[in-house]
Amino acid sequence: MFPRHSHAPSNGHAYGSSNTFSISPHRFQPRTRPALRWRRQLFVKIGVIALFSSIILLLIFPSFRDILLPSLGLGFILRDDPLLNTVKHYDLSDTQGTARGWERGERILFCVPLRDAEVHLPMFFGHMRNFTYPHHLIDLAFLVSDSKDQTLAKLKENLEALQNDPDDKIPFGEISLIEKDFGQKVKQDVENRHGFAAQASRRKTMAQARNWLLSAALRPYHTWVYWRDIDVETAPATILEDLMRHNKDVIVPNVWRPLPDWLGGEQPYDLNSWQESETALALADTLDEDAVIVEGYAEYATWRPHLAYLRDPYGDPDVEMEIDGVGGVSILAKAKVFRAGVHFPAFSFEKHAETEGFGKMAKRMRFSVVGLPHYTIWHLYEPSADDLKHMERMEEERKSKEAAEKAEKERQAKLMENYDDPKAQWEKDKQQIENAALEAKKAEENKDKNLVGGAAGPHAHAGEGEAQGKSGNQPAKVGGNV
Amino acid sequence: MAARSLRRSNPITLLLALVLFLGFLVFLLSPSTPSSSSSVLSSTSKAVKTKPGLRKPIKHFQLNHVKTTSDPASNHERVLILTPLARFYPEYWANLLKLTFPRELVELGFIVPKTREGNAALAKLEAAVKKVQTGPKKNRFHGVTIMRQDFDTPTPQNEKDRHALAAQKLRRAAMARARNSLLFTTIGMETSWVLWLDADIIETPPTLIQDLASHDKAVIVPNCFQRYADTDGTKKIRPYDFNSWHDSPKALEMASKMGNDDVIFEGYQEMATYRSLMAYERTEGGDVRLETPLEGVGGTALMVKAEVHRDGAMFPPFSFYHLIETEGFAKMARRLGYQPYGLPNYLVYHYNE
Repeated sequence: MFPRHSHAPSNGHAYGSSNTFSISPHRFQPRTRPALRWRRQLFVKIGVIALFSSIILLLIFPSFRDILLPSLGLGFILRDDPLLNTVKHYDLSDTQGTARGWERGERILFCVPLRDAEVHLPMFFGHMRNFTYPHHLIDLAFLVSDSKDQTLAKLKENLEALQNDPDDKIPFGEISLIEKDFGQKVKQDVENRHGFAAQASRRKTMAQARNWLLSAALRPYHTWVYWRDIDVETAPATILEDLMRHNKDVIVPNVWRPLPDWLGGEQPYDLNSWQESETALALADTLDEDAVIVEGYAEYATWRPHLAYLRDPYGDPDVEMEIDGVGGVSILAKAKVFRAGVHFPAFSFEKHAETEGFGKMAKRMRFSVVGLPHYTIWHLYEPSADDLKHMERMEEERKSKEAAEKAEKERQAKLMENYDDPKAQWEKDKQQIENAALEAKKAEENKDKNLVGGAAGPHAHAGEGEAQGKSGNQPAKVGGNV
Repeated sequence: MAARSLRRSNPITLLLALVLFLGFLVFLLSPSTPSSSSSVLSSTSKAVKTKPGLRKPIKHFQLNHVKTTSDPASNHERVLILTPLARFYPEYWANLLKLTFPRELVELGFIVPKTREGNAALAKLEAAVKKVQTGPKKNRFHGVTIMRQDFDTPTPQNEKDRHALAAQKLRRAAMARARNSLLFTTIGMETSWVLWLDADIIETPPTLIQDLASHDKAVIVPNCFQRYADTDGTKKIRPYDFNSWHDSPKALEMASKMGNDDVIFEGYQEMATYRSLMAYERTEGGDVRLETPLEGVGGTALMVKAEVHRDGAMFPPFSFYHLIETEGFAKMARRLGYQPYGLPNYLVYHYNE
């Protein structure tokens, strides 16, 4: 059709179509309005389409809510969703455990049973800060039982400090503090703790505490469980990774303890990690159903190879050894072991209880149980009553020896004095004779003073004679020796 | 330029692009397995992960105050109902919803094997759970945990294969492991009671929890029967679960002659134990509160005080005194000093295939 007005172009151009070839490139041409409007419309359209599609997505796929809403800052809408709050889904095959768990975000449940352990806490928390395994992947669970000291309060204080540390790498994941008393009858000092008679019942209560702690704290998202005693004095900060690298179901390091020099400097501590022996199996068959074989006591000679005695200080720390009994000072186990039902028998399981029974049961369910003979951690040395007595005796010996030496030297000095200085002695005697009358009076006074001093200081009795001897004879002694 | 090309393009092209874009988004964001369950799963497992520097408060729990009394409802004791689920029966769920125990005190735990059947059961279970948990607040359970098993179930779970003696040990061992996995990951700080309720228990008295707890026993098991129609069509009941029994000298003697890993099973002609079974101790119209001490228990419905499990009593997946699973559990509970009891006249009913 022919345009009605030749000046009104049909194709939207603002200029007359008559001068098609007269566009001057030097003249400023403002943007045409329709193009601008068109662009705005386009934005609106795109916006509408996006809104529409996201609404459709939200409606059709509820799972998009979890992805979209938090990213848009609308997470609060989700918080009321009862499905997310009350219904939890887990796939246990996600938490099987691999050799490099720290790279794959595998969570560790860190279990610590405690009783009257206030004094050890500062040392323990020193270790806690040092672990190189990512702290946010470690959940801590403490069970405080039958404690009479300030363990719980001190523990809380330390944990509070840990969680509020300015360094972002220090705070741990979930922390649970459990209080549960089992009515412990045996006192927790070293002598009672390790006495043979008390062992069986003590270990059963220990086992009970461990089971309560684990069953209450273990969740489906835990891949590993680490058991650690509070009184470990020295351990590598990388211990979790070091043990995990072996990728075993249950693994323990060697546990020794440092000793004072007079006891030999060091000693195997944990005798509960061992390999089963024929002798021990035969012994087990002869025992009563409820009997518990405990290692390290003369009553049961089992002739088992102990992890502790196989240590070579210069050996390869990665060497593994299959074991049947397990010590509880530091155990790393896969969570699936505990999920399968392996626990710390609080009864006599194949004549063993607690951690040794745990090792036996894990073996029974065909899990791998391994010890590292040359990878050593050090348990705190607490002198036993015997050691204390021995130390006392040594101290007395030292003192009597010193006293004997002193007496000897005194005698020597006296002799020297007598032989070397006869003239001086004469002089002295002369003076003494001259002042006899005065001396008598002075002596009277001195006597009174000595009596008073003796009555006032009975506590200094042991050192008194020595001290007097020292102050009185020192110059003479030195002179005599030179 | 872009505006001009868009303007020129056909609306149909635009629509097509939109559809493609949506399809791409779905492809990108949807989880690899196309079930609705796994999408929820991925979101919850994400919620579990923590970032460094996230300072979580210290939680303090008083397990001394967790009590188990004969009246759990009025003492606000938390009950954990655990079900290893291979198949989902709507009757089971309906019966569960009929229980009168206050739901805000009830937590549910399920473990589902990773099989095709398990997937089907899981989908149904999730639909059922969703309906209740998004419903009115007073009808919601305190919590529901649904888990996928991390090991294979050895034999197919159909009635005939299931009860073949040769397959029993493997099947019961896997079952025991499933039970343990479920138990040790769901038993929490506040749990007072654990009720084991099998997925094929379709009828119980609505006051099941209160009734069993009222006996105040560490381990207590009702008698499990099955409804069936006789050849002439009359409806009758017959005993179903033979795992609750009193020991016999014969069975003990058999055990003493067995190898370390052998297991005695109940209800097989090849293995006559002469144990007296609770299933046959029921008297018509007898006292429902009658208790009898047991040496072995069945797990179809089983009420356990949480402290028994916490002390370590679990379901041995190996031969424990020549017993396995729930029967082994009874033995382990006894080794820990807890005596299991049975209620011969208090019935729950098993599904009839």
